[in-house]
Amino acid sequence: MHETRGSVAQSCSREFVLTGNVAAMAPARDAIMDFVRDHCSDEQQQLDVLLALQEGLANAILHGCQGDAGKLVRCTVEISPSAIEFTIRDPGPGFNTSSARDESEDGSNLTEHGRGIFLMRSLMDEVTYRHNGTELYMKKARSSGH
Amino acid sequence: MLKIDIQSTPPIAALICSGRLVLGIETETLRCLATSRPEKHLLLDLSRLHVIDAAGLGLLVELHRWTQEHSARLTIAKRSVRAHRLISLTGLNCVLDLSDVPAESATAGESGEWRTMTA
Repeated sequence: MHETRGSVAQSCSREFVLTGNVAAMAPARDAIMDFVRDHCSDEQQQLDVLLALQEGLANAILHGCQGDAGKLVRCTVEISPSAIEFTIRDPGPGFNTSSARDESEDGSNLTEHGRGIFLMRSLMDEVTYRHNGTELYMKKARSSGH
Repeated sequence: MLKIDIQSTPPIAALICSGRLVLGIETETLRCLATSRPEKHLLLDLSRLHVIDAAGLGLLVELHRWTQEHSARLTIAKRSVRAHRLISLTGLNCVLDLSDVPAESATAGESGEWRTMTA
């Protein structure tokens, strides 16, 4: 994994690049959280961001890269006084974003899959798929007191 | 990292999970461990779980179905606030067999065998 960084005024940003295999996910997630952690307002927000990031990276690796270590996932993190934003890009063919499970869970999902996008939408303030589903944008507002 | 303390007091096996139950070696370890137990009642204690993701929640559903198909039973014993929140958020509280009794209490007084695994 490698990263690039930049900052403007009180904002900062960093790009993390990881290989598209499951084993690369945990160290990348932890490195991203090391960058983000101090900008979260409290432990609850840290855990929300951690879980949403976990789901976003997992989807990019499992579906966008098919677990192929020869492919790359790029995660850009932008931190401003008002929000923490993630953009996760994968090299996959994308998917029909309108088919993503969006409704409130009611226990009717008895499969092992299909909860990741729902969790991201529940934990973050904004979750949007772009470019035919190959780019995930997530935003978490920072508390005004932080 | 996921640490699993196992107490075997047949026909119950208590699996006490600490740390993170997330996609990767953590979910693989719990899947292999749970499905290899000979006991007919698995008690999964999540009270020391800090993080559980969609893969971890999916594994709970998978193990629930697996125990049903093998004439066994899975009970989710005490949950951390975080784990309970996500189980409720995803509606799995309507599907899984939940209990508020810690796994250690369910097997209290029994002289079972203890083991620990870490992933």
